[in-house]
Amino acid sequence: MKKLLLATLLLITSVAFAAPQYGGTLVFGRSGDSTSMDPSHVTDGESYYAATQIYDNLVQFKYGTTEVEPALAKSWSVSDDGLEYTFKLRKGVMFSKTKYFKIDSEFTSKDVVFSLGRQFDASQPYNKIGGAFKYWSAMDMTNIVKSVTAIDKYTVKITLKKREAPFIANLAMEFSMILSSDYADQLAKKGKQGDLSKKPVGTGPFVFKKWRKDDKIVFTANKNYWNGRPYIDRLIFKVITNNAVRAAELKAGSIHIMDFPNPAEVADLGSNAKIKLVKQEGLNVGYLAFNQEKKLFQDKRVRQAICYAINTKGIVKAVYEGLGKVATSPIPPTMWSYNKNLKGYEYNPEKAKKLLAEAGYPNGFKTNIWAMPVARPYNPNGRKVAEAMQADLAKVGIKAKIISYDWGTYLKKSSMGEHDMVLLGWTGDNGDPDNFLNVLLSAHAAKEKPAQNRAFWKNAEFTKLIDEAKVITDGAKRTKLYERAQVIFEEEAPWKPIANSIVVEPMLKKVHGFKLDPVGKRRFKEVWLEK
Amino acid sequence: MNNNENKIFEFYKQFKKNRVALVGAYIVVGLILCAIFAPILTQYDPLIQNLSNRLVPPCWSDGGTFAHILGTDDFGRDMLTRILYGARISLVIGIISVSISLSFGVIMGAVAGFFGGLTDLIIMRIVDIMLSIPAILLAIVIVSILGADLFNAMIAIGIVGIPTFARIVRSSVLAEKNKEYVVASCVNGSSDFRLIMSVVLPNCTTPMIVQATMWFASAVLEAAGLSFLGLGAQPPTPEWGAMLADSLQFITTAYWMIVFPGIAIFLTVIGFNLVGDGLMDVLDPKLKEK
Repeated sequence: MKKLLLATLLLITSVAFAAPQYGGTLVFGRSGDSTSMDPSHVTDGESYYAATQIYDNLVQFKYGTTEVEPALAKSWSVSDDGLEYTFKLRKGVMFSKTKYFKIDSEFTSKDVVFSLGRQFDASQPYNKIGGAFKYWSAMDMTNIVKSVTAIDKYTVKITLKKREAPFIANLAMEFSMILSSDYADQLAKKGKQGDLSKKPVGTGPFVFKKWRKDDKIVFTANKNYWNGRPYIDRLIFKVITNNAVRAAELKAGSIHIMDFPNPAEVADLGSNAKIKLVKQEGLNVGYLAFNQEKKLFQDKRVRQAICYAINTKGIVKAVYEGLGKVATSPIPPTMWSYNKNLKGYEYNPEKAKKLLAEAGYPNGFKTNIWAMPVARPYNPNGRKVAEAMQADLAKVGIKAKIISYDWGTYLKKSSMGEHDMVLLGWTGDNGDPDNFLNVLLSAHAAKEKPAQNRAFWKNAEFTKLIDEAKVITDGAKRTKLYERAQVIFEEEAPWKPIANSIVVEPMLKKVHGFKLDPVGKRRFKEVWLEK
Repeated sequence: MNNNENKIFEFYKQFKKNRVALVGAYIVVGLILCAIFAPILTQYDPLIQNLSNRLVPPCWSDGGTFAHILGTDDFGRDMLTRILYGARISLVIGIISVSISLSFGVIMGAVAGFFGGLTDLIIMRIVDIMLSIPAILLAIVIVSILGADLFNAMIAIGIVGIPTFARIVRSSVLAEKNKEYVVASCVNGSSDFRLIMSVVLPNCTTPMIVQATMWFASAVLEAAGLSFLGLGAQPPTPEWGAMLADSLQFITTAYWMIVFPGIAIFLTVIGFNLVGDGLMDVLDPKLKEK
């Protein structure tokens, strides 16, 4: 009877706790520190984590999806020729005040002109400060954007040089975040322009408090946030480089959420009574690319044979520890326009042997597999994946040597085409298929070295489809074109897609409301702590 | 002939007295037997993967089976099999790198010691330079130049061992070269080459044997270290150091993947070191008297 009473009591309390609670400090344990607080100058995920808390974009990805929704821009319209975008800005949004920025400053069109304009307009003083705008150039924005102009205080017009369907999604990416022009002017007056990358001022859900390098960053809630204040009062980003140590800290309860657990430790963490796992299919793909500049791989049958010979199911089980899904397409299933009808190449060594014999290699051949030296979200252990492939290929007579370099050299040498087969992958960052298919597989991406198209695959038909899809804005039509492009990809087999990994974020059970973003952001506005 | 047999018997008697050295000798002999008879001792292949059988714990743990006494690794390969075949690799590493160190070290040391003067100065300064760089660092540099693979690692470890051998041989040669029997041979008209090869060197063998045994242990350890850093054996070679490196992420979930290769390295190194110590005791009478 007593037990029953207790159970009812517990039930009542747990129902009562279901409503979000305000207050508390949340500690997020992550593997590395930010390099800069100016998101336009950096490309690393850890810096973006912090920037996401401090700044806003004109448009943003809806929490937990790749759909774009209004943020600092209330609405926008596109001209008929697809070249002029007019944004109506949200009124009454204030930049957060800090110890080093005390004036009242409303967000207006001049902040947009400053933040985006400085990245390509040489007449802006901040164009010269802080080094290259890496992401802006990587996305080819200089060849896309003609001008950013303020029509009035709350209206901005962006004119493009050519039609670009993924443009709106690009504005939701970190490099397009909006910084304060008033603050930039204040710094310029003092001659301290460099502080823009150390002491940030933004409109975001959290306000920057302090940053102790390689240790922690402290944020407080922005109580005046335009989209409602965050539930937690304080947010701390703690750097703990070792994955195992981070897991131990989580078990001890000294951090609330941890990033990047060791795949082998996930099951153990999940079985802990205090810890829960939040999982999300990542917007990523790991692949093995066949270098078509090598004569061997110019024969389609050889590429197909290798696709049949590799047991990706086994690799997902052994190396991804089940935290992945076998991939069949170059774009992940969570992405729109993913072609569900692709069958992929099943594991079939007999078929592989037959194809090899037809191609003139009945006894196989010697080749190499390049294995990534680091763990990435799309491939937790390149060397192990290579080792599994090596064993699979040996069964059909192909002798593959595993080669590895340090990460920088690896990327450089493979972009110059020195490999036979190379393991690599990609995490999408604007939720557009163009960000995968064009960047990684089109003939444009193989034209000049260093090349992003590691297969050096130059298929005219495929590239034509991608180019067509890039300039039309009708989603249904684009989907059709991308689906056809994927069929060509499957037939031609420039890669063996391996897996789309599942991103796992272990956290204490008292943390609620956390969602993983497919584009790799970590957001804390909707997160609340149970007391 | 008879005299020789007596010598060996005498040596054996002396060696047997040293219990610790005897244990070392047993370990070494066991290791050699494992390496030779690996295919007979186990029914598995060290390279063939079996994913349905991955991460099986050792036979004494829950869920373990006697089919895999030491369990299996993350690709379902039998741990015991990989460790037995790993013994082959470690022995080959030891033999090849000791041969390299020994041959070059002896030549350099003998030449330096015998001729003296400028030759000695140049050779010994080179040796000093090599000694001033930490061994593992020098090995890493050499492997980075030659390219990461097991054979290059053996060469690198061989080169790293040269200076120690050169020094030991030089000092022995210095001690011997003015002795009467050498002078006598010289007076008889022996050439320099003959003097070095058949008169001086045979009388310097004792410290060389001891040093070779000791260096064998170091070579195994250094090779494991290089493989651990990804600069030695490449997958799927069942090299102990590489096995350690590959299983780091399993340290909390599958201890057997990391513990057993570690024990194998430890036993090998300690075995050869004990034998080396024992040999020194027996072969170096001066030390014995103390």
